[in-house]
Order: sequence, then structure tokens, then C-alpha cells
Amino acid sequence: MTRRATLAIWVLALIPTFIAAPGLTDADWNSPNAVFNGLGRLTGISGLGFLLVAACISSRVPGFDRAFGGLTKLWRTHHLLGGVAFLLLLAHPLLLAFGRGHSATDATGLLFPAFNAWPIWAGWGALVLMMLFLGPSFSFFGRPPYQRWKWVHKLAAPAIVLALAHAFALDRTLPPPFDYLVWGTLSLLAVAALAYRWLFSLARLRVAGGRFPYKVTDVRPVSQGVVEISLLETGRRLAYEPGQFVYLTPFDETLKSGLNEEHPFTLSSAPAETGLRITIKDLGDASRALQKIRSGSNVSIEGPYGAFFPRHEDDSPELWIAGGIGITPFLSRARTLRQPGSSTSRICLILCVQDEARALFADELRDIADALPNFEFRLHYFYQQGPLDQTFINACCQDLESRHVYICGPPALLSLASRLALEGGVKANAIHTEEFDLL
Amino acid sequence: MKKLCYTAFIAFWASIATIVTIHLINGPDNGDPAQRAPSMAVWSLEEVAAHNSLQDCWMIIEGKVYDLTSYLDQHPTRPSVILPYCGTDATRGMQTKGYGSNHSDAAWRSLGDYLIGELEGAGTN
Repeated sequence: MTRRATLAIWVLALIPTFIAAPGLTDADWNSPNAVFNGLGRLTGISGLGFLLVAACISSRVPGFDRAFGGLTKLWRTHHLLGGVAFLLLLAHPLLLAFGRGHSATDATGLLFPAFNAWPIWAGWGALVLMMLFLGPSFSFFGRPPYQRWKWVHKLAAPAIVLALAHAFALDRTLPPPFDYLVWGTLSLLAVAALAYRWLFSLARLRVAGGRFPYKVTDVRPVSQGVVEISLLETGRRLAYEPGQFVYLTPFDETLKSGLNEEHPFTLSSAPAETGLRITIKDLGDASRALQKIRSGSNVSIEGPYGAFFPRHEDDSPELWIAGGIGITPFLSRARTLRQPGSSTSRICLILCVQDEARALFADELRDIADALPNFEFRLHYFYQQGPLDQTFINACCQDLESRHVYICGPPALLSLASRLALEGGVKANAIHTEEFDLL
Repeated sequence: MKKLCYTAFIAFWASIATIVTIHLINGPDNGDPAQRAPSMAVWSLEEVAAHNSLQDCWMIIEGKVYDLTSYLDQHPTRPSVILPYCGTDATRGMQTKGYGSNHSDAAWRSLGDYLIGELEGAGTN
């Protein structure tokens, strides 16, 4: 399902290319200049197709991401579509200029025409805006703070408007009526997605689930730089599943940073318990300020997002590998398993941390392991034992190849644990990962 | 993807700079279309009108006659967009591109490469 949905998105992005490609005639291949010209037109059309579809899936609609394996995977597709669009649209003016390769004057005239040639300048505007708003996403000049990245990324909207104006004025490669049909449909989808997000986040309307009002009831230190905050609904109650995450916006005016800013956090509570629990690690200005959020202050919750654990579980035994704060989705599931009436197949949880001081929720997880016969909990100390290896995993579960493996943590652990699982005979489609990286 | 996009970003501006630098070093292409004409044959409207296909496309632009057949595959738009202008006076098309924007100076200059004469009666009234 996940792969099919992702494939459908790529096919949708390729539709303009499929329609335009047959429009290139023999004349487009009979000289180097003509080939550059033809490819230049085609890359423009393809790039705009990818850009519009990337915009269409940019709006986070609770529930929509599940078909794609969760919001992080959907946004990985969005990120790749944006990257491909960027590469194609960079090639577009260059190839057209190479098509005038017999004269640098001609090529320069094509790239930089008179000021009244607004369609060309609209294209330039779109391309420069793309460089500005994609630069931070692809870390051109280092990694920006989340809020600045978010603000700069909004330049995508004017870039798309300029790109469409450029295409409508100049694109004559797509045969009519497909030109209006293709660009019109994709534009409407993109506008609908952006309008939904605007209504959802700016106007704070309760559209299709919308935002949920909650109040902070407790702030409990878990270890140095990590707190677990408890929330209680003041209106509608959020329904969610273990492993899902939400966007939290605090309204505590005493916060030193991050007031009214939304940030994503995994829910660490069990869905059936009263209220929500969210574990927050000090990783930046906003999350540092949230360590001291006042009890009694209001927050809003948007979500839930993500699909880390499949909805329909089979009886296969499981191996969970968590790194540091990556324990939170597993904590939610472990707390769920401890509740009356829950049953589970065999589970082994390995929590990888630097040292004992960073073993988040170790006592509670030991209690759960003591209470549940099928649940085993092991701590792996990186500083003492080196990187996680096959021997450590085998000591916890000797039937590794028959297990579903769930991994959540920093990218290095994700890649190491995935490799160990594959080497241990786990099928690729039985390895499930969740990254805390939404840029 | 990050490295690829960054590399393409740098390569893009390097290529643009190269094209503009070559243009600045060489200076603009020389030549007034009329002066570069090998001969100034005179063609009637009817004669021009006979060359009205993509395989044989003549146009009248500001009283001069051009055989643009070999150029059509280099034009940014599809050849079919130009087809209606073949065999006709395309001055307005050249001046407006169909949406009110003049062709570039470079485009006007490159017309000279395709000049084959002038329209009968042009310049005499």
C-alpha cells in the first residue's frame, strides 16, 4: 500500500512529461541545437510537473500520511520531488541557451531579454525563489533553525505562481487542450493543498479534525535536558495510536523562546490513558524553553501523524531498537501493552544510549518487562560496549530473521541497525524506521 | 540529493557566467540583416505565399523576405506555432510573439542569416 501510494505520486508528477514527450518531432532530433532546444522545453515541463506535485503533498492532513507510511516518509517523497524539480528547472534555461550555442549573443539574449519580456523574467523569478527556499532544505549554506527554514519555505508559493505564469505564456510544447488541462488540474490541487494548510494553521480553524486545545498539568524531569509533560484536554480529545506524533504549539507567555511556534513531538503516552504525555529533549531554543513550560498553561495539539507501527499486526515476534530520545514511540507502545486486556507477541527492546545517565525511562521499562512475560528489555551502553553489533542483538533474540524490526533514533543508529537486521536475515519489508528529521 | 542539488546549483551559475562572459568577450554579433544579404532579390506576395509549410517556410518581416525553413527546429516554441506565419507577413508576430512582447535584439540580428531578398514594392511607397 505504502509503495503503491508513493508510486502513484511519482506517476502523477510524470504525467506532463508523458504528454509532452510525443510532441517532440523528428525536427527536434536532427541537429545538436534542436536536441538541446527540445530537451530544454521538456525539462521545463517535467520540472514544473514535479514542483506542482511536491506542492500538492506538502500540506499535512492528519490521516492522509498513513497511506504513505507516515508523514516523515511522505515528506521524504516531497523532498525528493522538490529536488528533482530543482535539477530539471536548473537544466531548463541552460539547455535552451545551449540550443542557441552557435552564438553566445543569441544565448545571452534568450537568457536575459529586454525588460518587457515578462514571461522570461517570471521564469527567472521562480528559479531564483526556488534557490532561496530550497537552499536551506538541501543545506546549501548549513542547516537553518526550524522556524527560519519554515518561513523561507513559504517562498514556494510565489515561486509556483511565477513558474505557472511563465509556463502559460511560453509553453507551446504541450498540445492543447492538455496544456490548460494538465497545468490547471495540478495548480488547483496545489492551491487546494496550500489553502487547506493556511486555513488549518493560520486561521486556526478546526478543519477536518483541526487543532485540539490542551492544558499542561505536569512537567516531570526525566534526566538532564529531558522532561515529560502531561497534558489534559480542555475541549475535544485527540484519538491516536502508539508511535504517532503531534505538532505542539505552546501559549505560555513566560517561555523564553518558541511562544506560539509549532514543533513536532512524539506522543509517549498510551492512547487509552487520561490525557497525553510528550517527552521533550533539549535540542534547540524552543525545546530548551519548553523544559520550563508552566503547569496550567494552554497548548494546542495538531495531529496525529505518522504510521510507525502497522495498524493490523500479525503474530510475528518483534525487535525494537531505540536510540536516546528515539525511545518515545516504543514507550507509548510499551505503556499500551501494560494496560489491562492487552496481549502481545514476543518483543525485545534494545535501548541504545551513551551511558547510564542517559537511559531514559529505564526503570519504568524494567517494570514493564517484569510485568509482561513476552517483553524483554536490554540497555546497550555505547561508551562501554561500542557500537551495537550482531552478538548483542542475538543475545536478546536468536530468531532475528523471523522478527519485524522497528528502529527509531539518530540517522547513524538507523543505518547501523538496519544493516545489522538485513545481515541477520530480516526481510527488507519487515524493517520499519522512523526518523526525527522533518527538514 | 543534497550534494547533487548543491553541485547543480554551482554548475548552473558557472554555466550562466560562462555564456555571458563569452558574449562579453566576443561582443555582439555584427551585422544589419539588410547589409548581410547576399543579394536583394525581389519577391511578390504571391511568391512568398507559396512557401507556406514547415518544410518550406518563408516570411515577410518589415518588408524583407526570409527563408526560415532551416531555423524552425531551433525556435523555442513548437514549429506548429510558427506555421500560421509561413508564407505571410509575420512582422506583427516578430514584434509581439503573440502576447505583446518583442523578440530580443539577438533574435532580430540573427534574422539576417536567413534573408533572401525583399518584398516587391517595399520601400518604394
